[in-house]
Amino acid sequence: MNKTKRFIIVLVVLAVAFAFLFPSLQWYAMTPKEDQALALGSREQIREYAWRMARADLAEIERLVAASDAEPLPERFDPLVKRARKIYKELGIAAPAAWDAKAFLAAFDNRSDALAEIEDYYRSHVLGLKKLHGSAVQLGLDLSGGMSVVIRADIEALEAKVGRSLSSAERDDAVERALEVLNNRIDKFGLTEPVIRRQGDDRIYVEIPGAADPDRINSIIMGRGKLAFHIVDEQATASLAAYLEANPLAISDDLTLADPSQIPAGTMVRKYYTKDKYGLDEWTGSYMVIAAEAGLDGNHIESATVSSDAVTGQPEVVFSLDKEGGEIFYALTSANVEKTMAVVLDDRVRTGARISGPIQANVKITGFDAEEANNLALILRSAALPVELIVESQQAVGASLGEDTILEGRNAVLLGLALVFLFMLAYYKGAGVNATLAQVLNLFLMFSILSAFNLTLTLPSIAGFVLTIGMAVDANVIIFERIKEELRDGKGRKAAIDAGFAKAFWAVMDGNITTIIAALFLSQLGTGSIQGFAVSLAIGNISSLFTALFVSKLLFDFNTDVAKHRTVSIGWRVK
Amino acid sequence: MKRVINFHKAFLPATLASVVVLVAGLISLATMGLNLGVDFQAGINQSVRLAYPVADVSYEGPGSPVLSIGAGELSLVFSGADVDSRTVSWNLRTVGTIADLAGLLKAEGVTMAVRDGAGLSADLLVPTYQGDYTLGASPRLVHRAPKSSAEAYGSIEEIRASVSSLGSVSVQNVGGADSMQYLVRVSDDGSDKSFSETIPGRIRAALESAFGADKVVVIKTDYVGARFSEDLSSSAWKLSLFTALAILAYATIRFKMQYALGAVLAILHDCLIMIAFMVWTRMEFNTTSIAALLTILGYSINDTIVIFDRVREDRKLDPNAKMSAVIDRSVTETLGRTVITTVTTLLAVAALYFFTSGSIKDFALALIVGIVSGTYSTIFIATGFVHLWDKYGGKRQAKAGKLAAKPAN
Repeated sequence: MNKTKRFIIVLVVLAVAFAFLFPSLQWYAMTPKEDQALALGSREQIREYAWRMARADLAEIERLVAASDAEPLPERFDPLVKRARKIYKELGIAAPAAWDAKAFLAAFDNRSDALAEIEDYYRSHVLGLKKLHGSAVQLGLDLSGGMSVVIRADIEALEAKVGRSLSSAERDDAVERALEVLNNRIDKFGLTEPVIRRQGDDRIYVEIPGAADPDRINSIIMGRGKLAFHIVDEQATASLAAYLEANPLAISDDLTLADPSQIPAGTMVRKYYTKDKYGLDEWTGSYMVIAAEAGLDGNHIESATVSSDAVTGQPEVVFSLDKEGGEIFYALTSANVEKTMAVVLDDRVRTGARISGPIQANVKITGFDAEEANNLALILRSAALPVELIVESQQAVGASLGEDTILEGRNAVLLGLALVFLFMLAYYKGAGVNATLAQVLNLFLMFSILSAFNLTLTLPSIAGFVLTIGMAVDANVIIFERIKEELRDGKGRKAAIDAGFAKAFWAVMDGNITTIIAALFLSQLGTGSIQGFAVSLAIGNISSLFTALFVSKLLFDFNTDVAKHRTVSIGWRVK
Repeated sequence: MKRVINFHKAFLPATLASVVVLVAGLISLATMGLNLGVDFQAGINQSVRLAYPVADVSYEGPGSPVLSIGAGELSLVFSGADVDSRTVSWNLRTVGTIADLAGLLKAEGVTMAVRDGAGLSADLLVPTYQGDYTLGASPRLVHRAPKSSAEAYGSIEEIRASVSSLGSVSVQNVGGADSMQYLVRVSDDGSDKSFSETIPGRIRAALESAFGADKVVVIKTDYVGARFSEDLSSSAWKLSLFTALAILAYATIRFKMQYALGAVLAILHDCLIMIAFMVWTRMEFNTTSIAALLTILGYSINDTIVIFDRVREDRKLDPNAKMSAVIDRSVTETLGRTVITTVTTLLAVAALYFFTSGSIKDFALALIVGIVSGTYSTIFIATGFVHLWDKYGGKRQAKAGKLAAKPAN
């Protein structure tokens, strides 16, 4: 391969690496803290943020219109003006010369269109940041602070309760129920986006970055899901919606109204949720006013299944109640015919069903697609057969502790690198520059691979990088020592370099491949910190093969052919 | 040509020395055992810090700012729909006294009601270890460190006495007596199902009843359940075994059986040396230690393979030479590389050792021992074994070869 081709390959690798690394740079270096805080919030919080911002902004703009203010809109509305300009363009109307409040509103057909557009702007802005965070290098808990918990679903206790051993499908269902309840509860908690995933058969891994207060988190994780049926006050729900439309800030985070007289006595406000496409709870943006007292407690549910209607084929959820529950339910439904009944799990309205007539023990709910039906059945079952959860392991690291650790780790890494580079420069002179360049490139590649695969950076993985640099230099050393030997044998620059690289090739390869084998096995060990370390070790080995065998050779060849060097500067006693 | 050093003469004494150290190490391992860390022992590790409650911070106004203190900085992040999004931060080293800081916070709408010590430097504030505080109407308590070592209180004995009622407890001081930081460990024997939920609170309550309410700051809490730790130890063993087998297989394919065996023997040697070191220094054995062991495994094998590669090459160049001569020549030729690589790796690891703390410092120390042992074992154990194999196992083959060759002569 000629030099130009090799040079192009190196450039391409560098460019690709930079593209992978860019989101991390953007997130950590270019996103202000307050924007980070917003983007790290749960989807629900983002939804709510957009909802409020849109209403507040629109109110401000409407106020300007009412005051017939012909001044251009303040600068902070610029991104919104940009959207309005686009609408003008799509409609084929000439955009106004000055963007005052009136001209802005004229871009929309009606108020709700304007609201939707502004809300969409805020939402997509924050969700864009969230996506950026997702594609940046993730910081492990030891660096970001936070808490990780491994929870086991207590299948034995459940078996003891039902008095028989469970089939594997039933076990699976039990863990799914536990996941459902956890998702529901933890999502409510979060400043930052929690990670909840199944691990193996009966374990659930929960990671909550940022927060490290075990008492608070334990109470959330270990609390059981509380399910209840409430009657909906539809009239109040409608009037509340109108009121909040006009006064978006009149409701607080804990769902109390600034003016409690807006809803009838004996009722309360709850948010209405659906599942988004990731299976996470998502606030629909609407509120429901429901009876403060539960019509029926979920404890009375005995079983819940999904079937399809014999005639229409529509999916339906069928659940049965115990005797006492059946009586209560009959009284409830007969008194509230043609009203809506809300299914409320942990203070969240999950679904609403119209009561068509008095119902006793076997309840049938219809009117949704198969997936929604499955979700509802799962929720109902979680109340019927609660699964006990046992904490298997738990780790909490304070965020500030994380910051200190980052500083410490960074200093150690930088110092280690500086020492290694200085040594190489002093010992190998000209070739040391070559090795140093190769190592800098190596470091750059390692971080971009980490970023590309969305791997987590932990303190052990930083240690892994330092160690990798120490070991990666080994490849350079083997080659350089070989070149020295060839030079001693009287070979010229080009011949010595070629022979040195050729003879050292397998020694370098074999050594690195065995280390990669070790690292791969290591990465299978089930804890996060070791995985991070092993992965960084493997990545470092692979990228150092590239830099030591490929890039470094190119640098030598460049000096030979282009810079016309005749001798090799590779040490003190070698010419 | 450089003078060849007669390494093979040192093989026997080196092996004997290694055997002595390893046997001593194994005996200590059997008698003293490893100082198993939290990952391998069911229980709770809670880091706590005794401190002085200094001020109650609250906020009444739109939005909910987030307060964080750490690394010499106090910052407030305002975000959300109701406020102007912004981050305000102050350098605690230069901001002045706690009263000065309270004044600055006041300007941001945050109330800092100082309980005592208003005139002390704001630098004494204890970090918000348990995550950042979301401020609201109900006040959050902020602590400070003692202003001088005379003001420090609590001793390891007092801590131990206060938590002794919780079961099998051990207490360690972290960072010297003046730091007032302690690591409290309570073992979980599996009899109490709600252990992980109740014990952290009880540790705190026990300490508060001994030293006064609001005087305890929890830094971090780790819990590992019995089944989890069992799984981890068994998978650690299996993985080490599989790694060794995989390396054995690869080295057998690339070299010969005796080289592969020599290499695996050398890494076994290094791992045992490191374990002996951990036993003797009572270093905590946790997942990070396993990482250190496996790293050295990779490092040592790399080191060994480079020399074997040279032995193989030199052997080809001069097939009739005695094995001991070939080994001496190869080790001498690669000696420059061995020394330089060891020095550079040690430089990197030494930086880790001197500039980090806690488990990473231990990790670095274990690596230093492993690197030295790895370099030594490459030369004296791995090549020594190949030499031995050739001397005894190889001689028979050579004889058989000569006999078979005779008739042709």
